[in-house]
Amino acid sequence: MKAVGARVPRYDGIEHVTGRTVYVDDVKAPGTLWVKALRSPVDSATMTGLDVSKAESLPGVHAVVTWEDVPLLEYGHLSALGIPADEPLLAKDEVRYKGQPIAVVAAEDEDTARAAVEAISVDFEERPALYDVRKAFDEDAPKVHHWGNWYPHFEGEMDCRQIRKGSVTDAFEQADLIVQGVYRPAAIEHVPLETQVCLVVPEANGRLTIYSCTQALYFSMGVVAAHLQLPLNKLKVVGGTVGGGFGGKVDTATETLCSLLALKSGRPVKWRWTREEEFLCSSTRAPWHMEIADAVTKDGWILGRKMLTLHDSGAYARFSPYGLTKHSFHHTGAYTIPNLEFDGYVVFTNRVPTTAMRGFGVTSVSFATETHLTRVAHELGLDPYEVRLRNANRIGDTSPNRIVYTDPSIVPVVKALAGGMDNELAPEYAAMSREQRSGELLPEHLVGQLGNPEDH
Amino acid sequence: MAVHNGRGIAAIEYPTGMNQNGDPSQAWIKLKPDGRVDVFAGTSDIGNGSKTIQSQIVAETIGVPYEWITYDNSNTDSSPVCTGTFASRATFVAGKAVEKAAERVRERILEIAGKELEIDPGDLEIVDGEVLAKGAPQKKIAVPDVAAAATWTYGELITGTGAQLKAYSAITDPATGEVDSPPHSAISYAACAAEVEVDDETGTVRVTRLVQVYDVGLAVNPTLVEGQIEGGAIQGLGLGVLEECYPYYPSVEHRGGQFGSYLAPGIEDLPQIDTIIIENPSADGPYGAKGIGEMANNAQPPAIASAVYDAIGVWVTELPITPERVLRALEAKENGAGEPTRDGKTVVFDSELSVNAVSGGGMTFDAA
Repeated sequence: MKAVGARVPRYDGIEHVTGRTVYVDDVKAPGTLWVKALRSPVDSATMTGLDVSKAESLPGVHAVVTWEDVPLLEYGHLSALGIPADEPLLAKDEVRYKGQPIAVVAAEDEDTARAAVEAISVDFEERPALYDVRKAFDEDAPKVHHWGNWYPHFEGEMDCRQIRKGSVTDAFEQADLIVQGVYRPAAIEHVPLETQVCLVVPEANGRLTIYSCTQALYFSMGVVAAHLQLPLNKLKVVGGTVGGGFGGKVDTATETLCSLLALKSGRPVKWRWTREEEFLCSSTRAPWHMEIADAVTKDGWILGRKMLTLHDSGAYARFSPYGLTKHSFHHTGAYTIPNLEFDGYVVFTNRVPTTAMRGFGVTSVSFATETHLTRVAHELGLDPYEVRLRNANRIGDTSPNRIVYTDPSIVPVVKALAGGMDNELAPEYAAMSREQRSGELLPEHLVGQLGNPEDH
Repeated sequence: MAVHNGRGIAAIEYPTGMNQNGDPSQAWIKLKPDGRVDVFAGTSDIGNGSKTIQSQIVAETIGVPYEWITYDNSNTDSSPVCTGTFASRATFVAGKAVEKAAERVRERILEIAGKELEIDPGDLEIVDGEVLAKGAPQKKIAVPDVAAAATWTYGELITGTGAQLKAYSAITDPATGEVDSPPHSAISYAACAAEVEVDDETGTVRVTRLVQVYDVGLAVNPTLVEGQIEGGAIQGLGLGVLEECYPYYPSVEHRGGQFGSYLAPGIEDLPQIDTIIIENPSADGPYGAKGIGEMANNAQPPAIASAVYDAIGVWVTELPITPERVLRALEAKENGAGEPTRDGKTVVFDSELSVNAVSGGGMTFDAA
């Protein structure tokens, strides 16, 4: 029997549907302590007078961890890619979003842990907060981040992710029509059924066993090892079966703090976020602000695109520079546009940091560019299928980064959709294929932009 | 007051693996003395089905039944590096690593079977758990007997390792975005048509049907890829008409902290979903597979926005398309507002949302 291509039963399906799968929350270790966090109650403030002594002295409290206990306080999600770190594991002298962790406690039970959190004293001096990415660049905008209000560390220390190709000036001059629009998809929550949860057991041999719901065992192990300044042989991450992630569990939200508490208390510790914490304190999909101006001809060719993207990163960078770069690489969608001017900024605001989510960086740009293209079709009085097929990537077309497409299938895909919708295409469109451009499908403006598919 | 029907489409592309690459996955495989197969990989299964997919790839590559595979991704002591389950990479990148490891195992089985059968390993193949002489299938030895011979006769462990890594693609010119090598693998393409009903009294948008086409490269498991596509469609529907962390974005006020105040799609929101799968094999993926897990929620929001326009003649370009946004857009249309400004050959939509309207001058956007 062939295994590949077969509808074999899901490897762990029976366990899942009969409730016998062992998730992190099902793992029991004798003597486990409960963890609770003191979180910022305000969006932006300087912080002074952090005092945990009263909490530490409460009966049943075994450990309290603040920024002073972290060997390496700042380690970035993208440090492995050479992107500098900006986010302290626990707030030190300021808070930049409501829900930001300041201290964590490990206690005999949840109630004691909660009481210990309430016993921590700290003073906040609130500052004006910034919420609107469109206002971040103004001189009088509240200052969010020590790097400024937008990320300044792209290659060459640029503060903007740029794509430039051809001449948009020429394209806009030659255009029959210029269509401009603004697109703003919302922040959404990942809503996994399993909230963030972690159990760390300090073993007799000095190792830490970290039961984790991470989507990335080795990535999370690397993050913990970096903050704790430990070699990898001191850590064992146990997981691999996750109760829903969608990108939010690439963030290593609980593992490092639980490891610190386990080391300090010498006891197993467990932190299971409440649903409310998951909604309000876990990272979200980013809200995006995108503006597009397309230069088009009356028969539906896209000559050029100018685009501005403001990526709302929340209070820290996390994966946002990666997400924006991916976004920029895909801002022409499945189409060939020879003249491009893209500017994208990772903008900091006083909200929970945003992170990866299914389609990271591209979900937003697909919404913007596809809605825009249908608008363009309506403005031109053209069929939305036909505008797509005309501009669709073909073998030998080039990407915004000048990479030659060798295997695009957008033409057969769009034709299949037309078929599925019983939408009859005009004969010239029905005859289209993904093969290299020629004849009427190789107009003047595309001649110079083709590449050789053999090169890649 | 009426319910209006509308249709809209969108067509999208999405890369497989991390943008700019540089994301390794590794695997190792060993045989038990009865030929059963233990796979160790570090890929978390987040419900995407990667344990199943990778087990299928191993079974196919070695030539043994799927039921013989034990897949262990449980911890970092026994499992080698996997960058993680994101970037649509669990089938394409990590699946390639297990395929390579399984190829090594198959080669070792054939070598030992060759000794037992006194036939050149190159003249042998493995089919359904048996090693057969090509062209003379009566000459054969079962894989369990090969594993036993390795263990008890030759004193060998049949094992194999595999690793997949596409080199990092560097941006060589940050001013233009030029790169030194393809920053993506196996781009997948998809298209979606949405049919909606819009109630102009309540503002409610109901998505009644989604027709979707996906080029999946090759469906390693058609049931699971359909699951990704249909599950993604529901998440895309949530993005389109229901979900938002900040109901008054950019304000942070009134965040929903419970299921009762955050509208994730429920069973009552399900439209009819028709899925058309196209298999255009990728050059690099295991058996030609691509990764379509993430893109599965990207095409619905623009298709829905266009369908809403088709139904009621207003563009709502802030997501989600809530009843409030629909009613405000209809009200603006009635008052003669909400129309784009037209100046010469330039048509400007949504000017009230632009940085030009909101920024104090620190950021602008102009077509010219």
